[in-house]
Amino acid sequence: MVMSRIQKIPVVEEKKGNPLARVFDDLVRFCRSRSLFILHYCTGCGAIELPPAMTSRFDMERLGIQPMVSPRQADILLITGYVSIKTLKRVILTYEQMGSPKYVVGICSCTVNGGMYWQSYATAKKLDEYMPVDLYIAGCMPRPEAVISGLQKLMDRIKSGEADSWQDYYQNYDYYLGNQQKLFGEDWQTPTDIITEAKHYELMGEGTLGEHTRLLEQHQNPLEALEMRLGHNIKEPIE
Amino acid sequence: MAPIELLIELTLMPLIAFIVGMMMVLMMRRIAAKIQRRIGPPFFQPLYDIVKLHGKRTQVSHGLIHDIGIVMAMGGYIAAETLLPVPGMDGIAEKGGLITLLYLMMIPSLGLALGVGQCANPNGSIGIARALTAMLAYDIPLVIVIFGVAYAAGTTNLVEIIATQQAGGFATWGVIEMPLLAIAGLIAMHASLGKQPFEIYIAPAEIATGPMVEMSGKYLGGLFVMQCFQLYTTSVLYVSLFLGGGTTWFDFLIKSFLVLAIPVSIAYLFPRYRTEDLLRLMWKWPVMLGLIGLAFVM
Repeated sequence: MVMSRIQKIPVVEEKKGNPLARVFDDLVRFCRSRSLFILHYCTGCGAIELPPAMTSRFDMERLGIQPMVSPRQADILLITGYVSIKTLKRVILTYEQMGSPKYVVGICSCTVNGGMYWQSYATAKKLDEYMPVDLYIAGCMPRPEAVISGLQKLMDRIKSGEADSWQDYYQNYDYYLGNQQKLFGEDWQTPTDIITEAKHYELMGEGTLGEHTRLLEQHQNPLEALEMRLGHNIKEPIE
Repeated sequence: MAPIELLIELTLMPLIAFIVGMMMVLMMRRIAAKIQRRIGPPFFQPLYDIVKLHGKRTQVSHGLIHDIGIVMAMGGYIAAETLLPVPGMDGIAEKGGLITLLYLMMIPSLGLALGVGQCANPNGSIGIARALTAMLAYDIPLVIVIFGVAYAAGTTNLVEIIATQQAGGFATWGVIEMPLLAIAGLIAMHASLGKQPFEIYIAPAEIATGPMVEMSGKYLGGLFVMQCFQLYTTSVLYVSLFLGGGTTWFDFLIKSFLVLAIPVSIAYLFPRYRTEDLLRLMWKWPVMLGLIGLAFVM
């Protein structure tokens, strides 16, 4: 459903007969698929399945997958479990700070449809309403074998160039922002300026701008560098 | 030497250092995996990582100094490679000498400090403050060791130091003649690699990889390249000072990989010291060993 909305950027085939013309792109795609740094945002119970997948029992590193600690360094955002509305804000901030191409993997049923938290008032039910999800690994919870086999599917999709749903966030930003505004209120604003980024990297699509982004522009504070000052947060001593 | 020959050497030496350095990174990760009873990454994993990071679509820069800092971090080591003699190639080692090499090996930390400073991330600032403190800690034994070797050889010329050791055979190697300095040098080298007991400035669980916290894409890729050079430079310097350099590429590579395997195998068995413990340890034991060794040399 999500995938069909992505507008394929037309690629100019410069040397059609030359098999070596796209060898560099193929190399980069291959390296992308064989070197995945994961940022595991462990929100729920699914997190417990990741340590065995990483350590000696199943050893993800032989596939080139290794954990990283900051969103800037990571390629995959692993959401392992239910996403409460408060958590979702942080997940979106984290997602927007990652460098593209980036991939989101939802682990456990809770990210698919809310799972056992379906009736909860505080839980975001479907993760792909708020950010494009490349892969769901269903189960409550999926075993490490399932996690690794899911990540291998993602690797195949990256190698063949199909895993490009990160472009969807730029091209249909209005849709995702609308869903975010429905949850967080109309004054929702993230520190990352997605529209400017989309313009800069030429990823603007038909759905980038719309009624929700107009609402954002009305109240958007221009982003400024943080003031660097000592004692910024020091208040009067408590008596 | 003809200028064109020199130019070829100056190009080849960093290139070889990069390729050998990538294999050293691979060895490091494989040793870590074996210690943790895992299989470990495939052979080309360091290359995949570097190509992928440079091939990212969005590259987040935090400003000009951030860019320059990464270039300094890599450039310092690339310049250091041309001063490290390898079998068959001396580069500009005879003109440079040990003192220049020591200066060039400090530039990467300073470059990182510049680059991280502009990221304005508190974890990065803490990390770089710790990195410079660690540099203060391991540089004192390192300088004692290097000057001890230079004093014993009567020269700061690395080519001559290697030639003397090779001419006299195994009995004149630095590790036989100056064992105390060699031990102190090994500890200082371990600390300068920033591996586990001395890993105060990376500390992923505590300050989120410190200096690397805001690095993405090609900036992190640059730091990965820097790590390759760092491993190569430290182990080759140790081999040149204490193990008689290399007469052929075969024994040169075996020696440098073996030397690097010692700190790496120790590293993955230990947790991390605190900053003040690192300072206390580095200023006590290696400095004491180095000073006693220096007294024997004099």
